[in-house]
Amino acid sequence: MTEAVRTHGLFKRYGPQIAVAGIDLVVPAGSFAGLVGPNGAGKTTSLSMITGLLRPDGGQAEIDGFDVWRDPVEVKARIGVLPEGLRLFERLSGRELLLYNGRLRGIPKADVEQRAGELLRVMDLADAADKLVVDYSTGMRKKIGLAAALLHNPSVLFLDEPFEGVDPVSANTLTEVLWRYTASGSTVIFSSHVMDLVERLCDWVSVMSAGHIVAQGPLEKVRAGRSLNQAFLELVGGPRDNGDSGLTWLGRGKQEPA
Amino acid sequence: MNTVALFAQLKLRLLVGNLRGDIQRKLGFVFTLIMSVFVSVIGFLLMSLLRLAPHDVAASIVVVVFSAMLIGWMVVPLLAFGLDDTLDPARLSLFPLPTHRLAVGMFTASATGVWPLATLIITAGALVGLATGVGGVLLGIVAVLLQFALCLVASRLVTTALSSALRTRRGRDVLAVAAIFVVLLAQLPNLLINSDIGDPAGMLRGVAALLRWTPSGMAAHAMADGGLTGLAELAVVALVVVVVGWLWIKALSRALVTPDSSTRAASVRRGSGLVDRFVPSGPLAAVVTKELKYIRREPRYRVGWFSSVVVALVLGFSVTRSGEVGASMPILLTASAGMMIALQSANSFGIDGRSLWMNAVTMGSERGLSTDLAGRHLAGALVAAPLLALLAVGAGLFAGHPEAIVPAILIGLGALGTGFGVGSVTSVVIPYTLPERMNAFSGAAPGQGGQAFVSGLGALLGISLLSLPFVVPLLFGLLWVSVLAPFYGLLAEALGRRLGAKIGFPRLPELLAAVSRPT
Repeated sequence: MTEAVRTHGLFKRYGPQIAVAGIDLVVPAGSFAGLVGPNGAGKTTSLSMITGLLRPDGGQAEIDGFDVWRDPVEVKARIGVLPEGLRLFERLSGRELLLYNGRLRGIPKADVEQRAGELLRVMDLADAADKLVVDYSTGMRKKIGLAAALLHNPSVLFLDEPFEGVDPVSANTLTEVLWRYTASGSTVIFSSHVMDLVERLCDWVSVMSAGHIVAQGPLEKVRAGRSLNQAFLELVGGPRDNGDSGLTWLGRGKQEPA
Repeated sequence: MNTVALFAQLKLRLLVGNLRGDIQRKLGFVFTLIMSVFVSVIGFLLMSLLRLAPHDVAASIVVVVFSAMLIGWMVVPLLAFGLDDTLDPARLSLFPLPTHRLAVGMFTASATGVWPLATLIITAGALVGLATGVGGVLLGIVAVLLQFALCLVASRLVTTALSSALRTRRGRDVLAVAAIFVVLLAQLPNLLINSDIGDPAGMLRGVAALLRWTPSGMAAHAMADGGLTGLAELAVVALVVVVVGWLWIKALSRALVTPDSSTRAASVRRGSGLVDRFVPSGPLAAVVTKELKYIRREPRYRVGWFSSVVVALVLGFSVTRSGEVGASMPILLTASAGMMIALQSANSFGIDGRSLWMNAVTMGSERGLSTDLAGRHLAGALVAAPLLALLAVGAGLFAGHPEAIVPAILIGLGALGTGFGVGSVTSVVIPYTLPERMNAFSGAAPGQGGQAFVSGLGALLGISLLSLPFVVPLLFGLLWVSVLAPFYGLLAEALGRRLGAKIGFPRLPELLAAVSRPT
């Protein structure tokens, strides 16, 4: 089994706070991998370090066997990234953004135009192709961001919360494109905290909590017969009581006469 | 009364909450506090000292000051602060508040603060400076309060009426560019006074005679008058306050049910591919195309370009006025314009800001960064070169030295190239985040003011030093050196770019972090 992504003791701290505490993340090539964890678990920080956008304080990251920090040329040609927060070049139109991205990577103009046209059509953005990205809705931004990340046909795709704030129709489009992409042997790694989605899409899961990887492996193994949500709550330690202690006034049951 | 206390508390809470944890903001607030105390004390003193002036002059001055305050209150919040938390009615729209309570609350919130207090103190200074007799004092107190209320209500009316427009992207774009016109307009009185059009006293009388019939003017006049006329005037001002307040309430209730922002977006034209005819297809062409679009579409670029040209023009203008207009004027003007334009690239990545990752994930080597910088410079030069030529021709003809036009263009291009070279280095050594919304008071994200200052100063010094080899011979009248200037500029650009890429590439993650600060 070859690995698309492997990290050794990847570590990052912000002042006294340790964001990522030396993780060994492994993702086999060709898998559809989910990186799950509660807010603040270090998912975004990890993905930023693996994609070379944030300098780690320690440890290594390899993509397809190339070290991210020693071999940036090889690595950057192989990865596609959709970071969190979705800052795109807002004053370009969707089509211009794709053209810019493709040509920045040295793809011939005619090819870029053809690919951009197809991506816009598949993503259902053809009507909005000539509008400025600054005027796009969240779902449209995610879709154009994904299109930009796919344009140069990377072998590993990193997506940070690709489904957050996306309507079901757009989400469906996104997943279909991603399915098709992984079916050809490419790798997708995406972070999320929507367990249902991860369960439905992924064949490989890494669970992060407070800067550590607490479980990692094929979906069936991590889940071990439970639902992923249940497994996740047990792994990261959800609240023990079910909120019975307070909130007695909440709900219609015991309403006092006003 | 309850509402008043509630909203005053809310505003104070927000003020305190804004300060929590962030030392930079605390310092900023302390600075604001000192400034406002200073301004109110000086303002109060100056206003009360008007008592020493002849009564009619004092009255005229107060009329002008009151009107200026009113205009200031209407314009400044739009430009400098936008809509702060208590002022944006949309945030309150989910609470079950009747409109009149909301209006009272919003009024209280606007009256609570450092600058409203300063306004009140300065306005009250006029009471000391102007009011005569018991009637004058009594009317004066009412006039001060009315003027204060008028400032607040008018200010709120303007922000509320424009709030839906301000929340759209297009509205904010327009405002960003409008800000610069206001800053320029503020320079107008200065220029007028310098150009001794008439005697200041006469001008003051003229302006005051005109402004006297505005609500603020009437409040001021009533204070000076102190009689029945004054009483009548105050009645009118009170009426105006009520009407403006009523309009504001109307605007408020309309703003609460109008959708947040319009999503109607215009399409842009498809690119003409003009660049592709000159630049070989690839990353360079991509960056040039994108930068040219950004110069056209991004308000911060528009403001930058516009102000560089204006600064150069003002410089040239003041040189011209100072006496002899020689052949040096067109050269100086064009060179300074070239430098001002190039100074914008002292922080090349600032406007890309958090979008810069998109370039960063494609840059595998120093070459990538160097190409990126080259694209930015080429795009800048494509716009700057015709502009400089135009300036040189205009200045040469205006000064009556057409023979200076060609040297001026050459020197301008040299200055531009040198500036680009220096800018490549400062861009990677001292990068900083440009705030998304321009305002006249800060050019960097909170906490990065120092970097912005050092970067600008460093670039300026660097350009000046590097320009010496062709500035000195020019001072001795050796115009022929200008032939070398463009080549010198090209060399400086190439070397600076190489150095910048060498320093910048290993620091790419840090560079990215520095331009991605929250603003």
